Amino acid sequence: MHIPTSNYKKRVALGVLFILLIVMVTSPLYAPRYTVILLTSIFMFIVLTVSWTVFSGPTGYVSLAPAAFFGVGVYASALLGFVFPLPVVILLGGISSSCLAVIVGALTLRLRGIYFVMFTFGLVELLLHFILWWEVNITGTTGRVVPTVGNTTVYYLMLGVLVIVILTAYLLNRSRYGLALQSIGECEEAAAHTGVHVTAMKISTFALSAFFMGAAGAIMATRWTYIDPRIAFNPVLSFLPVLMAIFGGTGQLYGPVIGAALFTYLEEFLITRFPYYYMLIFGFIMVFAILYLPEGLVGMIQKLWKRIGGAKHADS
Amino acid sequence: MKSKGFMRIFVIAIALFFLTAAPLAAKDKIVIGQAISLSGPQAAGVDISGGKIYELWVHEVNKEGGIFVKEYGKKLPVELKRYDDKTDIGTMTNLLERLILEDKVDFVFPPWGTAFLFAAAPIANKYGYILIGGPGGALKLKELNVPYFFQVLNFSETQGPTLAEIFKEVGVKSVAVAYRGDLHGIEYGSAMVPDFKKRGIEVKLNKSYPPDIKDLSPILKEAQSLGVDAFAAACYPPGGFLFTGQSIELGINFKAFFLTVLPFSPNAYRDNLGVNVVEGVMGGGAWNAKSSPGAKDLVDKFVALFKVEPDYWGGLFYWSSLQHFRKAIEKAGSLDQKKIRDIMANEKFETALGPFWYDKDRYFVNHPGEIGQWQKGVFEVIDPGAKRTAPPLYPKPAWPKKK
Amino acid sequence: MIVTVLDILIAGLLMGGIYALIAVGLSLQYGVARVLNIAHGEFIMLGAFITWSLYTAFGIVPLVSLAISSPLVFTIGFILYKTLFTRLRISSPSVAMFEGKSMLACFGLLFMIQNIAILSWGAEIKGYSYLAFPVNILGAKFAANRLITLGFAVVFGSAFYLFLSRTRIGKAIRAAAQDAVAAGLMGINISWVLALCFGLGALMAGIGGTLISMSYQIQPTMGLEYTMIALIVLVVGGLGSIPGSFVGGFLLGLVGSIVTYVQPGLALVAYYVIFMLLLLAKPTGILGR
Repeated sequence: MHIPTSNYKKRVALGVLFILLIVMVTSPLYAPRYTVILLTSIFMFIVLTVSWTVFSGPTGYVSLAPAAFFGVGVYASALLGFVFPLPVVILLGGISSSCLAVIVGALTLRLRGIYFVMFTFGLVELLLHFILWWEVNITGTTGRVVPTVGNTTVYYLMLGVLVIVILTAYLLNRSRYGLALQSIGECEEAAAHTGVHVTAMKISTFALSAFFMGAAGAIMATRWTYIDPRIAFNPVLSFLPVLMAIFGGTGQLYGPVIGAALFTYLEEFLITRFPYYYMLIFGFIMVFAILYLPEGLVGMIQKLWKRIGGAKHADS
Repeated sequence: MKSKGFMRIFVIAIALFFLTAAPLAAKDKIVIGQAISLSGPQAAGVDISGGKIYELWVHEVNKEGGIFVKEYGKKLPVELKRYDDKTDIGTMTNLLERLILEDKVDFVFPPWGTAFLFAAAPIANKYGYILIGGPGGALKLKELNVPYFFQVLNFSETQGPTLAEIFKEVGVKSVAVAYRGDLHGIEYGSAMVPDFKKRGIEVKLNKSYPPDIKDLSPILKEAQSLGVDAFAAACYPPGGFLFTGQSIELGINFKAFFLTVLPFSPNAYRDNLGVNVVEGVMGGGAWNAKSSPGAKDLVDKFVALFKVEPDYWGGLFYWSSLQHFRKAIEKAGSLDQKKIRDIMANEKFETALGPFWYDKDRYFVNHPGEIGQWQKGVFEVIDPGAKRTAPPLYPKPAWPKKK
Repeated sequence: MIVTVLDILIAGLLMGGIYALIAVGLSLQYGVARVLNIAHGEFIMLGAFITWSLYTAFGIVPLVSLAISSPLVFTIGFILYKTLFTRLRISSPSVAMFEGKSMLACFGLLFMIQNIAILSWGAEIKGYSYLAFPVNILGAKFAANRLITLGFAVVFGSAFYLFLSRTRIGKAIRAAAQDAVAAGLMGINISWVLALCFGLGALMAGIGGTLISMSYQIQPTMGLEYTMIALIVLVVGGLGSIPGSFVGGFLLGLVGSIVTYVQPGLALVAYYVIFMLLLLAKPTGILGR
C-alpha cells in the first residue's frame, strides 16, 4: 500500500523535472531575451547556494568563502579567457577554486563553529586586498578585460553547471558518502570512530563545492567585460548563498533551489518596482521570514502540503 | 450572486483597459533608462557628481515641452527611468539589459564610475544603443571597440600634463605622489609622475594606498619629512577627506595641495570643511560660473532646483554633452540610434560650454578646464592659457588654526 | 624633522582606540546575547548621523550630544532584542540555530536601517570639523580629536569592564554569558539581561559613531566597513572579552600604522594575515578563554 504511492510520487516528480528541464533548454528559443538573462542570474545563485549546501548543509561548517571561490573563477576567466576556449576556462576556474579549497580545508582542520566562519570570511578579504596590492604594485594595473560571449551561450553554460550541481548534490545525498558527511555534522569524533575518514571527506567535499562556485565565477565574468579585485571578490556573494539556503530551508535538496530562485526573483522584482524603498521592503521580508518561517520556505510548503493532504483524507 | 457581478465588472474593466491601452502605444514620450548606484558605497559619489545633472536635464527639457522629433511631428517629453544597481556590477549589467530588452527604453544613460562604464559600454553597443559616458573614464576604454560609446569626461591624459605645467609655472621643485590602488589611482599616478619629471620637478615619494584604509597620516608625515613643496594624490572621496582632514589635524602644510577627486564638490568639500579651510586646495576639474554664459546658466538652474551648487568637475561636461545629444536628436528628426550616433560623432553643436564635438575616437576634447583651485569660495580654473579664470594661488595659505 | 618611531606608535594607538571602541559593543552582543550583529555598523552610522544633525542644526557639541544620542541608540537596541531576538531565541531549538537566525535577522535590519538613513539624510557624504588641530606630544604632533577619541575609548571601555565585573547587573550578565539556562534557574530575568546587553552593545556603537564622526566623513552606507573591522578586532582579541577588544584594537592599530609607513598598499593585507594566522594558532583570540 505504501510502496506504490511513493513510486507514483517519484514518477510524477521525475516527470515534472523532465518537463522543467525541457522548458529550460528550449526557453532561449521563445522566451523574451531579458528572461534568459534573469534566468542566468537565478541559475548562478542556485549553483552557489546548492554547492554551498553540499558542504555546509550536512557538515554544519558554515562557510563564508563562496565569494573567494567565485572570485578565483572570475580571475581565471580574465587571465585565461584569451588563451583557451571557454569550456576549458570554466574547467580551469573550477579546478583553481578547488585547489584553493584544499589548502584552506587543510589549514582549518582544527577550526569549528564561529572560528571557521570567521576564517573563511577573512579569506575573501585577504584575497581581495592581496590581489589588489599585487595588481597595483607588481603588474601595474588593477582592471582586466574579459572576453565576452553571447547571452545565450552564458545561459546554456550556466544551465549545464546547474544540472551537474543538482545531480551531484542529489547523488551525494543518497550515497553512503552523504550519510558519512551527515555523521560528521552530528559528531566528528563518533564519525571517526565508526571508520569515516573525516579529514579526507571534509576537504574533498569542500573542494567539490568550491569547484562549482569557481565555474560559476568563470562564466559570469564573461558578462562583465571588465573586472578588478573589488568586483571579483564581492563579499556580498559570500553571504547571499547562506541567506538563500536558510530562506529556502536546508533540510531538502529543493530547499536551497527554491530559496535561491525566489530570493533572486524577489530582489529583481522589488528593485525594479521600488528603486528607492526596495532595501526597506526586502529587509522587512527577511526579518518576517525568519520570524514566521522557522523552517524556511520548504518547511512552510511541507506544512501546507500536509494540511491539504489531511483535508483530503478527512473528506474521503 | 454578488461575487458574480463583481467578476463581470472585473472582466469588463480588464477588457476596457486593454482596448484603451492599445491606441496609447503611439509615441507620447521618450523614455530614458539608467541603472545607477542609489545605494551601496558609490551612492555618495553619484550624489556629489553626475547623478543630479541628468535629473536637471530631464526637468529642463520637459519645462520646454520636450524634444521636438520630426518623425512624430511634435514635442515629446522625456521620462527618466532609474534602477538601483546597489553598487554591484552584476546587478548593473542585468538592469541595463532589462531596460533595453524588457522595458524597451528609447535611450540609456550611463552608470556611475569607470569600472561600471567599462561593463556598460559593450552592452549598450551590442544592442546599438548610444551610451554617452558620464562620471568616469580611462585610457583603457579606447582599447574596446565600441562605436556607440562617447567619452565625455577628461582624465589623466590631459589633467596630468596641465597640473605639471601649473606646478612648473609657480615654481614647485619637488612633489610627493600618493595614489589609490585602483584604475583611477594607477592611471593618474603613472601619468603624473613622468609629467612632473619631464618638467624637472623631483618626485620624492610615490606610493599607492588601499581603498579602504582608515589612517593616511604616515604618508603625510613622510611627505612632510621629505620636505616636498607639493602634495598630489589620486584619490576618491574617502581618501580625499582623510588626506585633507589629517593634514589639518596634524598641521601639515604643503605649498601646493592637489587631490584628483573631491575638491570639485562644493557641497561635500567646501561646505563641509569651510571656505577658509579649503582656500588654495587644488583639484581635478574644472569650470565655474565664469567659464561661459552657459556655465552661469547651469549653476543658476541647478541651484534653483536642488538648492546646492553643481560639481565643478564633470557638471558642465555632462550638461553640455546632453545638450549636444538633444540637438543631434532634433537634427536626426527621429529616435533612430544609428542616425543620431552618426550625427553625434561628426557634428559640432553650440552648448553651455561653447562648441561641443567629439574627436575620431569619440572623445570629447574641448574641455572647459583641467585643474581648479578654491579661492575665496570659488573653484577657479588655473590652467595656463585662455581657460584660466584666476592665476594660481601659491604658496597655498596654511590650514587655519583651531576651529 | 623625520618621522619617528614615536610618531608611528602613537598614530597606531590612536587608530587602535577607535577600533577597540567599535569592537567592544559587538563583543558584548556576541559574547553574551549570542547575536553576531552584522548591523553593528548601522548603529555606528546612526550615532554618527544623530551627532552630525545635532551639531549642524543646533550647534550641540559632539561630546555633549553623546548624552542624547547614546540613550536613543540604546533604546533602539533594547527594544529590538526585547521584541525580535527574544522571540527568535525562544523559538530556536539550539544556540547554533539562534546564532544563524539572528545573524540573518541582522542582515534584514541592516538593509532597513540603511534605507531609512538614505531616505532621511540623503546618500551624500557629510562631515564637520571639530577639535581638528594638532597637539604636541614629546615633539610629535597628533590630532586633538583623535586623542579625545582614544581617551573616551579607554574611559568607556574601563567603565564597562568595571560595570561587568563589579556590579550586580554585571554579574548577572556574566552569568548569562556562561550559561543562560542556569542563570535563568538562579532567578535572573534572562530576557531582560540579554536585552540590556544588546542595548549596551548598541550604545557602545553609538558612542563609537559619535567619536568617529569627529575624525571621519560619514555617509549612510558606511556601516559595513566598520562592522568588518569590529569583527577582525573581536576575533584577534578574543570573542566576548572586553580587555581582549582593546588588545586586539591596539594590536591592529599598531600593525596598520607600521605597515602603512613601510608599504601602505599592504596595510589591509596585514590585518587579514594577522587575523587568519591568529585564528589558526589560537582560535579563541589573544585573551580568549
